[in-house]
Amino acid sequence: MGAHISIPMYQRAVPQRYRLVGQRCGACGKINFPPKAVCKYCYQGTSFEDVQLSGRGTVYSYTVIAGGGAPPEFAAEARCKGSYPVIIVELAEGPRVIAQMVNPPEEGIAIGMPVKAVFRKIYEEEGVIRYGFKFSPA
Amino acid sequence: MESVAIIGAGQTKYGDFPGLGVKELFAEAYLEMLQSVDRGLEQQRIGAAYIGSLSAGSGFQLGQLAPLLMGHVGLPHVNAARIENACASGGYALYSAACAVASGKFDLVLAAGVEKMRDVSSSKGRYWLGVSGDTEYERLAGSTFAGIYALMAARYMHEYGLKREHLSMVAVKNHRHAVSNPKAQFRKEITIEQALKGVPVAHPFNVWDCSPTTDGAAVVLLCNAKIAKEFTDKPVYLKGFGAASDYLAIHDRDSMTRLLATRKAADEAYKQAGVGPKDIDFAEVHDCFTIAEILAYGDLGFAEEGRAQYLLEEGFTQLDGKLPVNASGGLKAKGHPIGATGCGMACEVFKQLRDEAKEPSRQIKNARYALSHNVGGSGGTAAVFIYQRGDA
Amino acid sequence: MTKSIISGGVYLPTLRIKRDEYLSALGSCSAAMREKTVMDIDEDVITMAVAAARDALADLDVSRVGVLTLASTNFPYQEKALAGTLVEALGLDKHVLTSQHGNSTIAGTEALLAALGLLEQTEQQYALVVVSDAPTSGPDVDMEHGFGAAACAFVLAKDEPGLAFEGVYAQSGETMGLRYRLPGETDIRDIGVKAFATLDYNEMVKAAVTGLVSKLNRNLADYRHIVMHQADAKTAAALAKKMGCSDVQTKEGSVFADTGDIGACSSLLGLCRVLESAASGDCLLISSYGSGSGSQALSFRLQAPLKNSGSFQARLEDKKYIGYIQYLKQKRSI
Repeated sequence: MGAHISIPMYQRAVPQRYRLVGQRCGACGKINFPPKAVCKYCYQGTSFEDVQLSGRGTVYSYTVIAGGGAPPEFAAEARCKGSYPVIIVELAEGPRVIAQMVNPPEEGIAIGMPVKAVFRKIYEEEGVIRYGFKFSPA
Repeated sequence: MESVAIIGAGQTKYGDFPGLGVKELFAEAYLEMLQSVDRGLEQQRIGAAYIGSLSAGSGFQLGQLAPLLMGHVGLPHVNAARIENACASGGYALYSAACAVASGKFDLVLAAGVEKMRDVSSSKGRYWLGVSGDTEYERLAGSTFAGIYALMAARYMHEYGLKREHLSMVAVKNHRHAVSNPKAQFRKEITIEQALKGVPVAHPFNVWDCSPTTDGAAVVLLCNAKIAKEFTDKPVYLKGFGAASDYLAIHDRDSMTRLLATRKAADEAYKQAGVGPKDIDFAEVHDCFTIAEILAYGDLGFAEEGRAQYLLEEGFTQLDGKLPVNASGGLKAKGHPIGATGCGMACEVFKQLRDEAKEPSRQIKNARYALSHNVGGSGGTAAVFIYQRGDA
Repeated sequence: MTKSIISGGVYLPTLRIKRDEYLSALGSCSAAMREKTVMDIDEDVITMAVAAARDALADLDVSRVGVLTLASTNFPYQEKALAGTLVEALGLDKHVLTSQHGNSTIAGTEALLAALGLLEQTEQQYALVVVSDAPTSGPDVDMEHGFGAAACAFVLAKDEPGLAFEGVYAQSGETMGLRYRLPGETDIRDIGVKAFATLDYNEMVKAAVTGLVSKLNRNLADYRHIVMHQADAKTAAALAKKMGCSDVQTKEGSVFADTGDIGACSSLLGLCRVLESAASGDCLLISSYGSGSGSQALSFRLQAPLKNSGSFQARLEDKKYIGYIQYLKQKRSI
């Protein structure tokens, strides 16, 4: 039994998931990602301009999810790899975002290491592949 | 605003009860609560009931759980509602009940929590545990709650030099405390060596850093302080209660080494009670993962942020320390039946402040003020309560 | 209108398995590559396609792309085109003309040719061609030993200097080729008649290549690089030799030894490899081959160095070896 994100719900988030489209607040100019209805920085702005984020950033924190503890929809991935890293990335444009890391360095992940976004399969539900971003060492 | 007192509290033993469903668990805690009211209670005087539950019995009664449970214990017509804020559901039920009494609308209000987690496969169990974070981001990053708290722990270690051993010190302490608590799920001491070497869960956590899945229920009876002495000579006054929220997703928060929801809730509770962290004699804090207790020390004002680990090194928060924390064993060893946890903490405080922790080894002596702290998920919500003994 | 490839892109999965791993696990290996590329568990031909396309588009204005063509023999859906996934992932203009090519390893050059044609139908300046493939079969099928994974992408432009397209010549007909796959099956079947399959390959490819050279009034010796479809280590090179090509002409465009059989990508990835060292004035010839269709040979001339010739060498060197057990886990065989 996995998390349920309906196909329409996933599709509505495609620009942010497939290519990291953020929003620049019309009031304060700061960049929100993931999108908000009201700017999380100034609590005022409600109009935004889409901005393409670079996908570059640094590791703000990290963990490694052990195989046995993975959510059911990630169980196959955990079985294949034994464990997989999840990181919080501080994007070059400011916002932080949580995602998986691919190809972690053999010597281990370090806070501060540079990463870049890659396009990967996230999980499958109802047989439909949900694609999105993960990060790899830059 | 009216003053609020607690005049009764009951809870099931926490653990794995294949023979009991959500109704039976709730009834057991409710009946124990009734017995705890020193001079008895005419049940029909209860005006409202707030019942915290996340999964509503592993999803079988997602709608209108509260009337189902109240009908089961002979109160079909009470004003009943389910409260849901994940692991803080019980705390928010208590907060809602306290507000209902404080408003003057009701004299007697029930706050309760119940969770039946062990009726489903481990996969479904993980499903229930994993849908209280930001599903679209945290869950789809492949993370679990352990993973989210592990991210906080890694950041705390990075910023403040917290060591792996400090995490294990929380587990060892709380397991030791649970040994003499008859309500606790795990009544077995563990050594620091064991705690350091458990099966990995989410780096830096191993299994000993995580609270268990638990069945259980807890029920607390609140009343207007004016009439408390009708029921008992030893009420426990709920002097302050605060609750606050934060961004649900951890990546939206400015800091990962504090929970702003806890800080805001604590400020509100301290202010209302007219006391500060130094006045607290003991506390039950939300240690769903070992780092959570360390964060709580900072957020509740027991230590400066970044220096919480030194309280552990000094034994400050042990049962015989200056400020015992989680004398019950905490979520870690007493157990964590999600929706029941917040009310279960109030049950423990009720007993301690009435000197009714029957096991002499765990009774905290001469305590006047106590605090309980309940967190939803990774800090999307938090509730903090300050209690004062009423027989002095 | 001249149409030229002005930019190339490459993606090779990081994971590799050496042929030696097969030898120690199974005692033999039916394919003679040195090592091959292996997709990670969260990769498929679409994720590889996006990576290669981003590489090709790195320094270009994506809003000027008016055509997107896509090829693979192993798309993840039987019904549901994947061009839209790429449009969103790359942030292309919503009015882009798309076509998708599959069912045979000839699909790669088909996609390139389709893009050349569709470019006539758009006001935009660029066409993007993405070829991504990862043939799949069960571990008990000998042919599987050689199956790798790779993606490459090209940006075609109207009247801009680059690798100018000169012409194409096709040889089509009923040909069983090496392999086929039935509806609903994930595993490729080998026709199991190697000598016949080789004969067919030789006839089809030779006819396309010699036809192209004669159409353009050239000799094979005029080409600095001749890149042929490589389903194994030897067949392509042996045919080239028979046709009178030198080792120098075919060596650089060989990719099989490093990647294994990459299906529809084969000769196009070879093209990416030779582009890294090609000099202005060089003529390049590529020829594809696929079951059920035949062969297509395409001729190009490098007028000016590409803005971006892709990161073949960098991707080749960025690798992590896995053992056979881990390989089976990656393939979800265990």
